[in-house]
Parts: sequence; structure tokens; C-alpha cells
Amino acid sequence: MRLKVLFALLAVFTLVVAACGNDDDSDGGTASAPTEAPAPTMTEAPAPMMTEVDIDAALAADLSECTAAPTGDPIQVGMAMDFSDVVGFVDIPGSKLVPFIAEKVNCTGGINGSPVEVRVAEVGQDAVLAAQELLDWGAHFLIGPPFADFALPILQTTGGQVPLFVAASTEPTLADASVNSFLVSFDDYGMSRAAAQWAYDQGITRAIVFTEGEGIPYTGVNPDAFIAEFEELGGEVVSVQTYIWAADTDFSAQVNEIAGISENNEVVFSAALGFQVTALRGQLEGQGLDGLTYIGTDALDATGIQAEVNNEGIAHTPHTSISSGDRIDTMLADYEAANGEALESRGFMALYVDSMFLGIQGILDCGCTNPADIGAAVAQIEGFQGLSGEITFAGTNGIPPKAVPINRIVNGVDTLVATIGG
Amino acid sequence: MTELLQNLIDGLGRGSIYALLALGVAVIFGVMHLLNFAHGELITVSGYVAFWTISEGWSWYLVTPAIIATAVATSLVIERVAFSRVRGSSDFTLLLTSFGVHFVVFAVFLLYVSASVKTFPRPGWVTNTYSVGSLNLEVFDTVVIGVTLVTLLATSWLIQRTMFGLALRAAAADFDTARLMGVRSDTVIRGAFALSGLLAGIAGVFWLMRAGNTVPSAGITPMLKGVLAALIGGLGSLRGAVLGGFVLGLAEVLLRSRLPDTVASLTEGFVFLLIALLFIFRPQGLIRVAHAERV
Repeated sequence: MRLKVLFALLAVFTLVVAACGNDDDSDGGTASAPTEAPAPTMTEAPAPMMTEVDIDAALAADLSECTAAPTGDPIQVGMAMDFSDVVGFVDIPGSKLVPFIAEKVNCTGGINGSPVEVRVAEVGQDAVLAAQELLDWGAHFLIGPPFADFALPILQTTGGQVPLFVAASTEPTLADASVNSFLVSFDDYGMSRAAAQWAYDQGITRAIVFTEGEGIPYTGVNPDAFIAEFEELGGEVVSVQTYIWAADTDFSAQVNEIAGISENNEVVFSAALGFQVTALRGQLEGQGLDGLTYIGTDALDATGIQAEVNNEGIAHTPHTSISSGDRIDTMLADYEAANGEALESRGFMALYVDSMFLGIQGILDCGCTNPADIGAAVAQIEGFQGLSGEITFAGTNGIPPKAVPINRIVNGVDTLVATIGG
Repeated sequence: MTELLQNLIDGLGRGSIYALLALGVAVIFGVMHLLNFAHGELITVSGYVAFWTISEGWSWYLVTPAIIATAVATSLVIERVAFSRVRGSSDFTLLLTSFGVHFVVFAVFLLYVSASVKTFPRPGWVTNTYSVGSLNLEVFDTVVIGVTLVTLLATSWLIQRTMFGLALRAAAADFDTARLMGVRSDTVIRGAFALSGLLAGIAGVFWLMRAGNTVPSAGITPMLKGVLAALIGGLGSLRGAVLGGFVLGLAEVLLRSRLPDTVASLTEGFVFLLIALLFIFRPQGLIRVAHAERV
């Protein structure tokens, strides 16, 4: 009986909520967040036509003192984001930050009088559906999730006719300028070659490498690239061990083998996550191997190596090396002040903002709104001064030849110790 | 030879955790014929409790009972909220319910906590080693094996020597007849979930000590290991579950260590291949249980 009453109350509540809800169903079932232009608070003389995005001006905007709201045709930015626990650690905060920055752009009058609108569609289990929704909405360009399982279906949906920025990806196969697909970061090869160069520059000539298997995206490609570069530089890879990425935290079998061959002076490289590297290190040190140097990929930044215990001396290749008070730090502090929450995965956030500004720069360069033409213009971008560094697509296949920062935990602080390539 | 011995001890250490997980799965299967795919969620919830309590400055001496209590409480809550509603339904309904619980718990942590990895410091002694002759053994493995043996003995005593154990065994053999004989179904089922939670909690302590992190999907791997070990041992057999756990742990370590480098990354694949072979020749698992029904 009580159950029936409960169901009845639930039904009534549902009907009331449905009746009180917004009639506009354009959001569908997705996590959409169109950014509206802020209300005008003052009027200024028309600004000169913008030919280059002014990131600093947008970041400096004070949302409580906006200029006249832009009234032109909107620039529509579609974000197809993966909120799963595989990628959500970057796509969730990224999809919060980009609309916030768009709001700031609009606060400064927009882009030549056009407001920037951002719509977020969670890919869920169907990236095609999310991409199609954004295309139907009229997105001029898309910002997509970093891994191929969702980015490739999105690319197939766009048919290469709409620019796609795979913001947080280092996956080289996702970049193809001929189908308007662009990385915003360096790729796996650039990242791991830089790691090998840095290790060799430290005078280390022996390496122990952990891989999931040759050629496996990210978990195998990064070790492959490291091995190739390290050996080309003259180093020797004395042991290649396998492990399960994102899962293994017991490396007993591998440590037993390493203990038999190590001279306690090697560099240990992997694309493993932060908690895996510290677990491995603990077990190796338990065997007396306390003279090893550890370097990893952007996965260490993604999984918070800075907060790990026993992280001293561990090096990694973040996308941005943030220092207190710099542009990225200030941007993230602004977001936190305005929204009351700090964003996670701080080192990746500049890539999302850069993705939006690169798309807008493409629109400014071509003076067009046709996505395919915007893509062609993006492919010719040269020397774009992004938050995450200088970005050039001209003459590339969609992978910008960016410098790779090498950070290392020094006295407990994540410190930039080198910048390689670029 | 030395390396082989070290591998065996490593495998027993790993297998001990699997055995505890598998035993929890087997206890529930015994009384409900439910292959509980939500079993790993006990470790997911416990993992977040570990993260939050350690962030508040709790030591592992306090976190350990907190993890175990959380696992027991979570197990009872899951039974009350989800499984008690479908008690008596078909095995397939129970199976789907367990998947539902898994996805709900996963989504709650993903949406309302964080998709990011939450790390916490492991106890310092986890990676300490000691020497026995030419062997260099991990203190952690020794502790895990020791605690597991004590837990298994205590569980055996509980099941063989107490009224609750008698009721549990009776329910596992024939639930309806047991009820006719006066066994209270609520008591025995909740007791089974509490015992399953307790075993998962003890396994969870070691799992989390080694992992030092948690994510919304943290329970998937322990759930798979537990279910797999229970299947290897013979679904429904408590002794088989323990045996299956040790076999799985040893197989993983020995294969990873003994396979040539070129195929070592296929270790998991080889483990599943061996399990498939086992089921071809012994579809009932290592230990046959007459009354168990396969799901």
C-alpha cells in the first residue's frame, strides 16, 4: 500500500516538474550549454575589425563590466565531449572552461560583433549522435574527445567537412589536415622523443621501458618512440617490460627480472599513470634500486603525479608548465572565482581554450562561415600564439611542431627543468 | 629456481586477494544463485572512503576498519535497496539487477564526485622487503597471505561451526527446504551479504593499499578477478572459490614472468585461454558442486 502511495506521489511530482519545465526542448537529452551574450551595460564606439584573436583581451575581461553585447551572427562552437571515467578527467573540466571563456569573449564585444556560442554534447555511448546534433545545430567547428574510439566516429560524421580539434589528444593518427582534423598538442612521437633526449642529456645511457605492446596506441607507441630515439642517441635499452595500463599496481614479476640486470643507474620510461609509476618505484626501491631516474608522459600530469607520495625526482612531459600568476594560472583562478569550483587537470585546460581560438582564427583568416573553408584556413595557420604555446599547422598534417616541456618534481614542487624541440 | 620461488610467493600474495573476493562471490551465489557483478562496487565505495579519510589525515590503522565497515554496510545497503526487491526472481533478473547496481554506483561517483583518479598514499611498509636465503620477499605479500589464511580459517569455522553457518549451508543446498525447516530467509541472505562484504572489505584493504588510488570504475577489475576465480573453482563451491583465487593469481604471475618478451603483453589473453581450456575439459570448474546452477 505504501509503495502505491509512493508511486502515486512520484507520478504527481514528475508531472509537476514536467509542467513547470522550459518548453524549449532544443537541448534534448544532452548536456548542452549554449552561452548567451551578456546584457549590455555600456555603449562604446565601434572597434576596428579584428584580424587576429586577442586571447589576452578576452582573458582580461571583467564579466561584471561588459561592453555592448555583440549582435552579429553567432560563431557556433560545438564540443562533443566524453564524460566517461576514461577521458572525463579532461573533457569535463574542458567543457566547463570553454563556455566561460566564450562568455568573456562576448563580454569584450565578441568577434567583430559576433557572439561566440558554445554547445556541449556528451558523446555517451554514441559519438555519432552527439556529432550529428552539433552539426544540425550549425557548429562552425568542433572540439572533440582525445581518444580514437570516439574521435574517429565524429570525424566520419563530419565527413571531413567540419574542422575538428581533438583538444587533449597526442594520438598522431587522429591528425589529418586533409580531412580538417587537427591536434592542438605535440603528438606521442614528439613527447617521447623529448623524454628520451632529456634522459640522454642527463648522462643516462641505459633504459628500462614499460610498454603494453608494440604499436598499441599511446601505451605502446610512446615506448616505441622512446626506444627508437634513445637508441639513436647512443643509449641502450636493457629491458623492455610489459604491464597493463591503468590497472597494474603490482609489478612483482617485472621487478624480479629488473633486479637481476639493473646497474641501478637506468632511466625508467613508460606511459603509465601516476599511481602506477609510484607503485613501481616503491617496489624497485624495495629491492634496493634507489638510483633510477623516472620519466613519463602527459599521463603523469593527467593523473596528478604532483600529489603522489614518493614523487620526488619524477619527470614528465606536461602540455603546459603552469607557474603561479601566469596566464593559465590566472585564467583558472578567474574560473574558480566566478564559478566557485576549481577545475581539475589544469595542465590540459589551455588546449581546450586554444582549440576554440584556433577555430575562431580560421574564421577570421578566411572571412567565411562555411566549415570546410574554415578548415582550409586553419590548415594554413602559422605562428599562432596560443595559451599552450606557439601553434603552426601550415606545412604539417595537422600536428603542430610544438616544444615539449619537461617538468620534474624538485623539493616537492613540479618544476620546469627543460624545454625540448619546437 | 630462486626467481621461480619468488614468483610462486608473488602469485600466492596476489591469489590471496582474489581468493577473498571469490569467496564473497561464492557465498552470495550459494544462497541466491546470483552471480554478483556488483561485488566490485564494495571496493569502489571503500576506495572513496579511503581517499576521503586519508585526505582528512587518518592513518591506515583507522582507515583499515573504515574500509571493512564500509564494505559491509555497502553490501547490506545494496541487498536492501536492490536485491531484496527481486528476491525469488529468475537468475537472469538477478544478474541484470547486479549489472544495474554496478552502473548506478559507477555513474554516481562519475557525476557527483569526479572522473579523475583520486590518489592517496600507500602505507610505507607495502614495498618493504626482507631476505630469506637468496629470496627477497615483500612484507606485503607475507602479510596478505597470512591475513588471508586467518580469514579463511575464521570463515570456515563460521560456516562449519555456527548456527548461521548451518543455515547458510542449508540455504545453499536447498533454499526452499531450508525455509520449511525454519531457516529465516531474511537473516540468512542478509548474513550472506554481510559476510560477503566483510570478505570484500578485507580484500579491499589490501587492494587499495597496493593501488593507492580510486576511480569510479575501480571495482571492475576486482569484480572480474573475483567472478573469474569463483568460476575457475566451481561456481557455488566455497573451497573452489579459494582454490580458484590462488590458481588465478599464480597463473598471472607465472605467465607474465615465463612468457617470452615478445608475447608477454598477451599474458591476460593466455590466462583467459587457459581458463577456456579448463572449461572445455572441466565445465563444472575445479570442484564440482551438485546443487549449483549456472547462470
